[in-house]
Amino acid sequence: MIQIKNLKKSFRTEEVETLALNNVNLKVEEGEFVAIMGPSGCGKSTLLNIIGMLDNPTEGSYNFAGHEVAGLRESQRTQLRKGNLGFVFQSFNLIDELTVFENVELPLIYLKMSKSERKEKVMAVLERMKIAHRKNHFPQQLSGGQQQRVAISRAVVTNPKLILADEPTGNLDSKNGIEVMNLLTELNQEGTTIVMVTHSDRDSHYAHRVVNLFDGQIVTESQNRAIGAII
Amino acid sequence: MIKNHLKIAWRNLKKQPFFTFLNVFGLAIGIAGGLLISIYIYDELSYDTVFADADRIHRINLDVKFGGTESQSAVTAAPMGPAMEQDFSQVELTTRFLEVGSLLIRKENDINNVKELKATYADSTFFKMFGLELLYGDTATALKDPNTLILTKAAAEKHFGIDNAVGQRVVLNDTDTYSVTGVIEDMPKNSFLREHSVFLAMSGTPEANEGNWGSHNFPTFIKFLPDTDVDAFQEPLQGMFGDYVIPYIQRYFPGITEEEFLASGNYFKFSTIPLTNIHLFSDRDSEMSANSSMQNIYILTFIAIFLIVLASVNFMNLSTAHSLRRAKEVGVRKTLGSDRSSLIRQFLVESGLITLLALVAGITMAMLSMSFFNSLAGKSLTIPFMNPWFWAILLGATILLGVLSGLYPAFFMSRFIPVKVLKGTGESAISDSKVRNLLVVFQFAVSVFLILGTLVVYQQLDFIQNKDLGYSKEQVLVVQDLSALGESAPFFKEQVRQLAKVKSVTLSSYLPTPSGRANTSFFQENAPSQEDAINMQAWQVDENYLSTLDMVLVAGRGFDPKITTDSTAVIVNESTVAILGVTPEEALGMRISHDIGESNPVYNPIIGVVKNFHFESLRKDIGALSLFLGTSADNMAVKLESGDFSKTISQIESIWKRIAPGQPFGFNFMDDAFDTTYKAEQNLGRVFMTFTILSIIIACLGLFGLAAFNAKKRTKEIGVRKVLGASVGQITYRLTMDFLKLVGVAILVSLPLGWFAMNKWLEDFSYRIAIDWQVFAVAAILAVGVAILTVSYQSIRAALTNPTKSLRME
Repeated sequence: MIQIKNLKKSFRTEEVETLALNNVNLKVEEGEFVAIMGPSGCGKSTLLNIIGMLDNPTEGSYNFAGHEVAGLRESQRTQLRKGNLGFVFQSFNLIDELTVFENVELPLIYLKMSKSERKEKVMAVLERMKIAHRKNHFPQQLSGGQQQRVAISRAVVTNPKLILADEPTGNLDSKNGIEVMNLLTELNQEGTTIVMVTHSDRDSHYAHRVVNLFDGQIVTESQNRAIGAII
Repeated sequence: MIKNHLKIAWRNLKKQPFFTFLNVFGLAIGIAGGLLISIYIYDELSYDTVFADADRIHRINLDVKFGGTESQSAVTAAPMGPAMEQDFSQVELTTRFLEVGSLLIRKENDINNVKELKATYADSTFFKMFGLELLYGDTATALKDPNTLILTKAAAEKHFGIDNAVGQRVVLNDTDTYSVTGVIEDMPKNSFLREHSVFLAMSGTPEANEGNWGSHNFPTFIKFLPDTDVDAFQEPLQGMFGDYVIPYIQRYFPGITEEEFLASGNYFKFSTIPLTNIHLFSDRDSEMSANSSMQNIYILTFIAIFLIVLASVNFMNLSTAHSLRRAKEVGVRKTLGSDRSSLIRQFLVESGLITLLALVAGITMAMLSMSFFNSLAGKSLTIPFMNPWFWAILLGATILLGVLSGLYPAFFMSRFIPVKVLKGTGESAISDSKVRNLLVVFQFAVSVFLILGTLVVYQQLDFIQNKDLGYSKEQVLVVQDLSALGESAPFFKEQVRQLAKVKSVTLSSYLPTPSGRANTSFFQENAPSQEDAINMQAWQVDENYLSTLDMVLVAGRGFDPKITTDSTAVIVNESTVAILGVTPEEALGMRISHDIGESNPVYNPIIGVVKNFHFESLRKDIGALSLFLGTSADNMAVKLESGDFSKTISQIESIWKRIAPGQPFGFNFMDDAFDTTYKAEQNLGRVFMTFTILSIIIACLGLFGLAAFNAKKRTKEIGVRKVLGASVGQITYRLTMDFLKLVGVAILVSLPLGWFAMNKWLEDFSYRIAIDWQVFAVAAILAVGVAILTVSYQSIRAALTNPTKSLRME
């Protein structure tokens, strides 16, 4: 599903050029659950952003489901992203002015889905995430765990092929964190590919495979034998 | 999608009431101001368009240079109209007026007179010319016969209590009896006849039929046949000078030719002006109504555009500044698949919503301030709610305003890069404040410009009102309508003079306040050529005139009725002496005459030279003037001792009532009459000031919002600085200085522009102030002061914040 070859990303300020990613090669198969780990500033988020088509690489190739993404214009990336990708952020990034229902509905609106269809899908996913009773609340009226469940609902409501999670449990206590990881695992078991950036060893154990980044380069890759072993 | 846009827009507005208020209020002020000014301008532009065939009606203008004076007048000679009708096939119709001014009217069997402010003689073609119908009476006969008149409906009701006054008989000025032959609808408010209420049949005035080409008292209107080339008409029109005027001049200067007349530098030019241009483009002697000027329209248009642009700029500034709050939303929406155009549409919906709210608030403001605005502008305008065009234009303009104001913020915000804003580094994404700074500079430049303008207009007004006019207008009471006294005027004067608090009293034909007056040509003895003519005003005054009005003689003496030769003597002003080319002392004893060419001319010896005093608007230079000892009693001026005037006035009134029972007693103070001459400037000054204040308010709203944003953006920086030991004062200074620098740039930009523009405005005045550096200083200090007041509240508040609080926010 994802094939990254010799990928480089550099940031340029007035005086210095920083190499955030240096010759990264990565392959993610459909249905995989991959965790990306590494110290602060190693390039984890940059890599995730490129995989999520929010950013373009400086050099190298990125092939997503048969499409070459590197060098696409923003509008083209937006087209490709729509419906194929779901995002889960550390800070949830829900829109404060929209209710739970409206937040989850948003990606479907951008897919130009009819109103009745949208309602059906949103309600289904809210039921599943056990947050339907809060559908008319605004994000700030919810706990962190509830907010992240809404965010996950929003990420999966379009039935994306790939979910990208950027430290999804970073702002949650351990109980809510475990609940979120279980949800992601469940989704993965149903066939959704997941790429997750994390600092947490515990969370990384949910993944099939852990990729370690250091100074913009992949240093080790390891397979987790027992999936969900520590639940 | 639009529903989603609207929903989120509405919630956003509700969530940030302060920001919404600043935006809506600022825009509403702009809309209200723009609306009021537009209605005003629309009214000004509509003058005289109400008359049928207005596009074919023109007035004859006359420009003359003769006898050392130049004049531009709105009147021509009596035979001009009839001659044109006869000579030119293009001319369908002509109508002449002859202004009467104010008039006392009473019913034939009544002794009580009631005053009408404006009456005029009019040719019977009046109705056909202006497409007017009578409410009562027959237009075919109404103004035909001598001693007939028509009244407006309001005048008819005033005098007779009923509108149908046809057949009634009235006495004018206690002398002539007239029959009412028609009643007409009141003259339209936006027409040159708006104040006229009485129209007398022209056939009753001998002057109208005399064929005198040397006396110019008749406003003359012509109606061209359709499709007449008016430009091409100017040449044959000028031909009338040779055909009619030269033969008339030859009576006084036998054998003079047109070439000789022109060769001496004199001229006599006819031209036409379209009826619909008179109100805004004509500023001549003897206009039938006070006109406005296109310059004012330009200035107002300019102010209206400024107000709206300022409000729109405010909106852009506040919106982009506040976009920090929206950055996350933009990031999320983009991540979820929104494209840029959809975001742009969303922000446009928001700005549209704000503009719509502002429209409602702006119309409300305009309604509430309409009467204030009317008193400011001297009008009685209303908002044309029933006119569909009004709504169409207003809505169109509002949508345009919303789109224009919203477009920049929309493009600005939709450009946010999700990767950056979602990380919480939104500040860097929107820290580019160059455009915002530019907009603040623009707003303050406009404000400083308007402050400067207001100061200059007020200084000039003050200068005019306090200028040494060469006479004293303080504590001078003017008694009106002396004609009602008839022969008793000298007796009345004598009675008033004996009152305790009265210093002196004078009767005269004219007072030195602007009014309609004609020039007469005089010639020096022994030099009766047209080159040496002096064209000047000749007033009849009594022996108390100079002393009552504190006028100064620079040579010779005043009138003395005991000296019998003084009945033909003349006192001239310094301008006359200058035209004669002699010193005041040399002028004494010189003799002039105005009836040279007659068989037995009367010569007038100069016995005194009066220091120049202003008797026309200060826009004009002081012209030549001659004073004769006369018995004319059109005006009485009473110089009062200082103190309580009301008692003296009631004493004068009771004397009046004794001498002339039933006649209305009217008076005014000379300085008030003088001030009305500068009403246009005063109105302009007040309009300037009002809209200057509004524009400053708008600019301050914007600055206040920006300061709040800036303080918020720099919360962390402020916290760090405080932890490191910065004092509240230092931080306040730092935050305030950022804005003051912008205001400084604005001042540097706008002062030279303001200086240039206001000097242009001042050029219209013959007597004007020089703009000195203090005006610039005051404008700059005001702008800086207002900016400091606006910004410092936010700066101090931010500086006082506990640093642990601000650092925790990160």
